[in-house]
Amino acid sequence: MSEKKPLDVLLGELKERAKELNCLYQVQELLNNSENTVDDICNGLVEVIPPGWQYPDICRAKIQLNSKTYASDDLVETKWELKSDIRIQGETVGQIYVYYEEEAPDMDEGPFLKDERKLINTIAERVGLHLLHQQLKNVFEKQNQADTEHKKEWEVILDMLRQTNPKLLIRLSRKMVNYLCWTGVKKAEELLERFGSAFHDEGELIDENKPFKKSSDSDLISLSYEIFEIAEDNLTLDKILNNIQKWTKEDRSGFLSKILENMGSSLQDINNAIERYHHLAPQMLELSEAREKGLRVAMIRRILTDQSDYIDIAKRFVDVNSFNELLNKIISPVGSHGKLGGKSAGLFLANQMIKKYTPEFESFAEVKIPKTWYITSDGLLNFMDYNNLEEVMEQKYKDIGQIRQEYPYVIQLFKSSTFPPAIIKGLLMALDDFGSVPLIIRSSSLLEDRIGMAFAGKYKSLFIANQGTKEERLVALMDAIAEVYASVFGPDPIDYRAENDLLDYHEEMGIMIQQVVGTKIGHYYLPSFAGVAFSQNEFRWSPRINRKDGLIRLVPGLGTRAVDRISNDYPILIAPGQPQLKVNVTVDEVIKYSPKYLDVINLQSGEFETVELEVLKQFGKEYPMIHQVVSRMKQDFLQLANPLTIDFQKDFLVVTFEGLVNRTKYVQQTKDMLEVLSKEYNNPVDIEFAHDGNNLYLLQCRTQSAGIEYKAAVIPSNVPIEKTLFSANKYISNGIVTDITHIVYVDPTKYSEVSDYETLKEIGKSVGRLNKILPKHQFILMGPGRWGSRGDIKLGVSVTYSEINNTSMLIEIARKTNEYTPDLSFGTHFFQDLVESNIRYLPLYPDDYGIIFNFKFLEESENLLTSFLPDMEKLKDVIRVIDVPASAGGQVLNVLMNGDSNKALAIFSDPTDYIDDEAKELQLGLRSGVIQEDVHWQWRLRNVEKLASQLDPQRFGVKGFYLFGSVKNAQAGPSSDIDILIHFVGTDAQRKDLSAWLEGWSLSLSQINFLRTGNKTEGLLDIHIVTDDDIKKRDSYAIKIGAVSDAARPLPMGTALKKNGLK
Amino acid sequence: MSDTSYNAFTDAQKLFDRAADLLDLDQATRDLLRTPQKEFHFSIPVRMDDGKVKIFQGYRVMHNDARGPAKGGIRFHPHETIDTVRALAMWMTWKTAVVDLPLGGGKGGVICDPHNLSPFEQERLCRGWIRQVYKNIGPHLDIPAPEVMTNAQHMLWMLDEYEVISGSRQPGVITGKPVGMGGSLGRAEATGYGVIISLREALKELGIDPSETTASVQGFGNVSQYAIELYQQMGGTVKCVSSWVQDEQNSYSVCKPEGINLEELRSVTDSFGGINISKAVKMGYKMIPGEDWLKQEVDILIPAAIENQITGNNVNDIHKKVKVIAEAANGPTSPEAAKVLDKKDIYTIPDFLANAGGVTCSYFEQVQSNMNYYWEKDEVLSKLDLKMTSAFISVSDFAKTNNLNMRDAAYIISVNRVSQACKDRGWV
Repeated sequence: MSEKKPLDVLLGELKERAKELNCLYQVQELLNNSENTVDDICNGLVEVIPPGWQYPDICRAKIQLNSKTYASDDLVETKWELKSDIRIQGETVGQIYVYYEEEAPDMDEGPFLKDERKLINTIAERVGLHLLHQQLKNVFEKQNQADTEHKKEWEVILDMLRQTNPKLLIRLSRKMVNYLCWTGVKKAEELLERFGSAFHDEGELIDENKPFKKSSDSDLISLSYEIFEIAEDNLTLDKILNNIQKWTKEDRSGFLSKILENMGSSLQDINNAIERYHHLAPQMLELSEAREKGLRVAMIRRILTDQSDYIDIAKRFVDVNSFNELLNKIISPVGSHGKLGGKSAGLFLANQMIKKYTPEFESFAEVKIPKTWYITSDGLLNFMDYNNLEEVMEQKYKDIGQIRQEYPYVIQLFKSSTFPPAIIKGLLMALDDFGSVPLIIRSSSLLEDRIGMAFAGKYKSLFIANQGTKEERLVALMDAIAEVYASVFGPDPIDYRAENDLLDYHEEMGIMIQQVVGTKIGHYYLPSFAGVAFSQNEFRWSPRINRKDGLIRLVPGLGTRAVDRISNDYPILIAPGQPQLKVNVTVDEVIKYSPKYLDVINLQSGEFETVELEVLKQFGKEYPMIHQVVSRMKQDFLQLANPLTIDFQKDFLVVTFEGLVNRTKYVQQTKDMLEVLSKEYNNPVDIEFAHDGNNLYLLQCRTQSAGIEYKAAVIPSNVPIEKTLFSANKYISNGIVTDITHIVYVDPTKYSEVSDYETLKEIGKSVGRLNKILPKHQFILMGPGRWGSRGDIKLGVSVTYSEINNTSMLIEIARKTNEYTPDLSFGTHFFQDLVESNIRYLPLYPDDYGIIFNFKFLEESENLLTSFLPDMEKLKDVIRVIDVPASAGGQVLNVLMNGDSNKALAIFSDPTDYIDDEAKELQLGLRSGVIQEDVHWQWRLRNVEKLASQLDPQRFGVKGFYLFGSVKNAQAGPSSDIDILIHFVGTDAQRKDLSAWLEGWSLSLSQINFLRTGNKTEGLLDIHIVTDDDIKKRDSYAIKIGAVSDAARPLPMGTALKKNGLK
Repeated sequence: MSDTSYNAFTDAQKLFDRAADLLDLDQATRDLLRTPQKEFHFSIPVRMDDGKVKIFQGYRVMHNDARGPAKGGIRFHPHETIDTVRALAMWMTWKTAVVDLPLGGGKGGVICDPHNLSPFEQERLCRGWIRQVYKNIGPHLDIPAPEVMTNAQHMLWMLDEYEVISGSRQPGVITGKPVGMGGSLGRAEATGYGVIISLREALKELGIDPSETTASVQGFGNVSQYAIELYQQMGGTVKCVSSWVQDEQNSYSVCKPEGINLEELRSVTDSFGGINISKAVKMGYKMIPGEDWLKQEVDILIPAAIENQITGNNVNDIHKKVKVIAEAANGPTSPEAAKVLDKKDIYTIPDFLANAGGVTCSYFEQVQSNMNYYWEKDEVLSKLDLKMTSAFISVSDFAKTNNLNMRDAAYIISVNRVSQACKDRGWV
């Protein structure tokens, strides 16, 4: 492989295209000249074909037609041959051959290019059509000469067909019988029986269980005449002729539907058929609406996905021609039956929708999708097959612990395997097509992105810089694809599939190789801005914002920072329906919550990197649309920046996107897009996008229900009032908060009675202290008015974000006083912190009609304030700390929110068996997405919960299983171990057994940690075993059980075994 | 809300009553100064973006203008109450008087949450506010300025509306404007420099050479940075600075025994005064817990972060070497801690006086706007030095003569000046 400069490659390609076009043009001239005989044409073709090929000097052509051979005198037949059949009505009547006299470099098909294969096929097709045309002309002339007075017009046609194309005649007759039957002609029914049992045509299936007697064609032809006799009696002549004309036209596209409907035809067959369809001049192929629709559905099913919901929508937007371009960018194994998968299908469909609406929305003309190549879903199996990796397929049925343990080897195995030649060839073509722009390798699984499946981010996506020689680029690309392939066998996806009963489905995963949208800025590569947008807003920061106003999360640079939640940085939030209602209003807020970092691809190191906004000092001038991205701090207010006057060295620049909102059509464009897509999907949607300074690129589109954000909780009816803590029906967003064990309740009435400033301050500080002590993300804060109020302290507890950051929910209570209900803050003082750390916000209006608010529970349950904060005795009337299980008979609190019905309900229930695993996972904010900041405690906690759920207490003699230390307190770092306390009551043998079992877990967890962080540890579990005796004496770690502060947290054991019926 | 609830205005009145007792003010003076002179309550109709009209409640309170036109900010706050505005207006009267500015005190606001308003709606609200009080404010009557949730942009909208109605340019009607649009140079420096000017005078009185002193500073925001700048110019050594680290939701202090390098630290600091601790450590700074700024063996402590930082709990952690505390922040010392400091004989320059550089510079802005002649930065800063120095000397003299601490002296001297002006005018 030699490395050429992209320009050279491009020029070379263009030259080839020009040659091919010229060749086709000359062929057409030969055919169009009515003076030319067949001999003239064939002799001419032999001359005009070679100049169309890559090496004309050594190229020779030969035509074999009706047992005659046409060739130049100096023809030498060699093994370097390209051949295409000339067909008339499906029957092969000759061949066109192209030879190279000498060996030429290996290309797509021997020494020949893919485009040359297309060219020779097209020429053969055109010659075939010409010959058919000639034949018909001859027949007509003969007919005209004969005495036609005694014959009816349809008879003339039938005669003609009998001579030229008897098969077509039979098919037309069949259609006529059907037609007559439908219109209620009795006689036809009789014929149908005779015809039907006899009729059999290539490729059409009849019931295979019944033997049938095949009639000869001549029987059927005589039957045809009978049929048309009947037709004449029942239909007008016009009608008969019209039908014949229509059916003949339809018949021409028969090849396409046959191929699509035949499950045995490979993707190459389909590709060829569509190409053939595309090459035939459109006017020759008028399709009936039904036939066209059938074709569309068949194509969607074969190429994209077979999900019926998707097909239902897609068939309205896709036509046969829209596949033509797509098919040229598909890489597939030989004889592939694969599909492209959900993500590709979603993007393809969204693009079609946007195209359809472009006349209506002018700005859609500037919406594009990035150049993308696809590997079909069977590429994975093909790859595994080629490398004899079948045993990895069984991985999914192994114990999850073992899967974890073995995952690193799977990755290594995949990475050191090779790709089949057909795929490598495809990848090389893709690389030529892309040039050396950075690429992202995304998974497009058949299971992922299904409507109603939150499979999002379970599989890997990888960026590659795609720099260097072609070999280097190919190696990097294959490496990335192998890694994405391996992620199918990672513990997280398998676990997820097991939980959703998807394990037995064959996971096939397509791959999207997509150009990263962006420009080169210095030695970095990045889009001007990128992000995600939702047609439905689940984070309303003002009561004036409606859910349907949507939400955009916008960042400069790669969109990874908007897709994932990142603790130390913030995206800009915009409601496209109300772009002027900002989350952040004061200058300080705007600066504090503005993006400070960019995700980029470093073209020098080839790495994906996060860089500080400071890089603008160096490269600001090169950054497209920089003046729409940043504002300039001018003393104490922010000014829209002006491209010529920004001083990148001196100016204090803040990313606000004010320019983008106020001076460009971007927001309107996105709003229109979200509206169109959600209307056509009949579902809320989310999209990922990026902008390179010229165009807006759509990167992904899917329905929001399948998306990463919040699910609407199902609100149960008929919950007994004593099982309810509160209900709400204003400003509700979707979401579920489960397993709440503690409530911190600041009594609104008592709070308003506090008369001195110092005490009010102290209440805030005490909440801050509780925030550090209570179990992380298992308690909620409920208090009056506006949490974090900076102005008038009596309107809400004065806290900073760091004083509430461990709560799972922030609730503001608006009590009515003198017919006046105060406005709530909607968490504005730290709204973005809440969003980014996934703390839910809920406003409550206890005095509204029909609202439940369980004052009794909140005011009469035991108050644990003084056991946590012994020095705060004096606040015990105002702050109430409630241990929910202790006061609610062992039950915990769950808050269910449903934005669709605008209802929320807090109910007590048994500790779960999570109400909804998916919701729980989302709640933990755990998404193994692209490249994200690893939150070490979250996956540790999840795995420990899993471990406990699989621990059989009887088998091992375990009475209690507790978690304590850094994981429990959400403080675990990359090298932290997991502190576990086991209350053991079994025998020595059981203890040995238990240790061995835990050891396995410990090692596999440490391996995962190594993969995630690069930290090597000897096992990750730190197990402390205590006995009844220890507990009695309150020895060592036993004191952690039931301790007042920082108590070890009990985890339910064996729940997974019960669920799976093992227990 | 019940009657027992906390009320800022009641608190402010109590504080005043104490001063009035000490000054033995007559009943009429007390009655006059306990309540605002004038209050305007008005409705502001605003056409919202969706075409509907919403009515907002607006206020302007002028507490006292015996010494000159009233001065005070405009707040946008969703739970604004008239009592809060009254308390703050009264505070402005004392604040302008302590530096002996020829100004009175006022405050205003609108009940609204700008988070629920688009910029266009905010503009219409600002203009609507001016239309309602146009007749009751003015360069020689009452001069608004930015406050909670309002900024230079709001001031420019208001100024423009005022000028449209008056048919003339009146930049002196509002302060807090950007430079070039009627703003004053030196505003960034004013508060921090003011703190150090007071400190310089305090050291002079105590007979300490500033170049031989060391200091520890809490916070590294705007005020702190300029305070350190001037302090270092006087030869002082800052050994320790504390800073809030947003990412970790925690504060840290960085130390260097031979003195911090201001420029170096600024280069690793964000716009909120958050020092990048790991970068600072690489530069050779020692990292210690945030609260330890207070425990340093230094001569001077400068709390320049937020309120309530020196409390009964930590006041005894202060090193015995400390001689002066300059309160750059608002209310950094709790009343309990203040008593302990008095006992320990640590000289405290109260916030009220120490951070008056800000209001002084606002006054300069107004003066320059009225003249339509704008000074160079040097001129602003030298005038600031003059004002702050003489303010310090009068408070200090007053304290010595009447055997008061600086905090009480500063407050009482202000009340005294205002009541004297009322008397001189023949009001009481």
